[in-house]
Amino acid sequence: MSILQIKNVDSGYGEVQILWDISLDVQEKQLTALVGGNGVGKTTLLKTIAGLIRPWKGSILFDGKDISRIPAYAKAEMGLVLVPEGRQLFTDMSIQENLEMGATNRRAKPHLKANLEKVYEMFPRLKERMNQKSGTLSGGEQQMLAVARGIMAAPRVLMIDEMSLGLAPVLVLQLFENLRQLRDLGITVVLVEQNVQMALAVSDEGYVIAEGKVEMHGPASDLADNEHVRAAYLGL
Amino acid sequence: MNFFTLLTALIDGLLIGVVYGIAAMGLNLIWGVMRVINLAHGALIAMGMFTVYLLYSNFGLNPYLALLLAAVLGLLMGMLIYFVAIKRVQNAPYLSTLLATFAVNMILIGLGTAAFTTTPRDSGFSIGSLSLGPITLQGTRLVAAFVTLAVTGTLYFFLYRTIPGKHIRAVSNNRAAAELMGIPSVRVMALSFGIGAMLAAIAGALIATFFSFTVLSGDVYQQKSFIIGVLGGLGNPLGALLGGLILGVLEGLLPLAMPNTWVPVIEFGLFIFILLVKPSGLLGGKK
Repeated sequence: MSILQIKNVDSGYGEVQILWDISLDVQEKQLTALVGGNGVGKTTLLKTIAGLIRPWKGSILFDGKDISRIPAYAKAEMGLVLVPEGRQLFTDMSIQENLEMGATNRRAKPHLKANLEKVYEMFPRLKERMNQKSGTLSGGEQQMLAVARGIMAAPRVLMIDEMSLGLAPVLVLQLFENLRQLRDLGITVVLVEQNVQMALAVSDEGYVIAEGKVEMHGPASDLADNEHVRAAYLGL
Repeated sequence: MNFFTLLTALIDGLLIGVVYGIAAMGLNLIWGVMRVINLAHGALIAMGMFTVYLLYSNFGLNPYLALLLAAVLGLLMGMLIYFVAIKRVQNAPYLSTLLATFAVNMILIGLGTAAFTTTPRDSGFSIGSLSLGPITLQGTRLVAAFVTLAVTGTLYFFLYRTIPGKHIRAVSNNRAAAELMGIPSVRVMALSFGIGAMLAAIAGALIATFFSFTVLSGDVYQQKSFIIGVLGGLGNPLGALLGGLILGVLEGLLPLAMPNTWVPVIEFGLFIFILLVKPSGLLGGKK
């Protein structure tokens, strides 16, 4: 069943149109990857879905309801949560406080304690440093915290933008493994990645975005085997 | 000049300085959360002064009870100002919010002048004084300093230990991320502006218990808040308290050595000096 539908969306910044008539269909409890080169509009797409940018045209349906015009915080309240590109932590606040802020919405608040335990179990390194200011963490730890903060929001759909950017491969592997755990817990995950190979390897479904449009979509394993994808994005 | 005159002036300066500090803290909070320089701060300080003055001289209401009303009024007024004048121009360049708050200031001062004229007022309130040997301190100033410290402590507790307070810090730190986490940033900013205005009103209410004032006096204290903000570092509430203490001490001690009219010259000289050598303030963070 599809939990998130993007229908013929145009979007962009100011006068500059970035997305052209994009449509997606995200299936519940699956891991969906949006892949493609630099600057093709993947981040713009996530921002539009999350409500940081209003779509110019088209509609966004969450659980069958049109949510294209509601503000970002209200979408988080409904369970549509974005872990933004560049982490965007509350750098002057401690790790624990960042996680508390993640659990702001009404659905997440009652489960604050249980979810804290869950993410600390998933990322023990964060627990060791819970009172440290998040701005002082290493890049990898900051990314863990960004994902953990997203989990604290008790998302039904967790969207993650460029999780692997600038991280050591071993850490990227671990984080992707964490995402599969989340999916197995019943959370729908939408992943935007430049690391096409890795993203398709862990995902169920894939969309290839090029020039602000959907170029191809299908099961992630099919895309990984596709001649065009291999030549254009995997360098094979 | 004898030692006890000096000591009295010093302590007096510290007592008054913390009250200046709380007005600056309000300005600081608003700047820190939404990058708005509130030029209506002086009008809000004057509103606090007149709330206490009118309630005390007309109805005999104890100024410290009137202060509570002034605080509530400041909070509501601040939120109103935010929604009417700030919200829509907030993302425009700084000049827009500067002009918006300046306009609010002119309107409030204009209304105040129409209603109360610019005649100097004095609450005439006194709760006696405290003598420690040769040093005599006015009770109203002691209480004012005490109230200020209590308010500062409460503010800190609010910002660091309660969820709405943490929301303010989160929005201040990264508004977009706060929105993504489900924090309604517009409401949080309205509350922050309200609290900033409340601190201004409290400072005004306290000042009215020991200084005379007019409708226009708020602007003088607003200017002091700017100097304090620069001294302590904008975006740092404790810095505001420190800056307030420094300014208070200057105002206590300088008149012993020179005519009063020189005091603002020295203060603003210091303002420019700090901007030149340490623009981030004495407790300077990176902002």
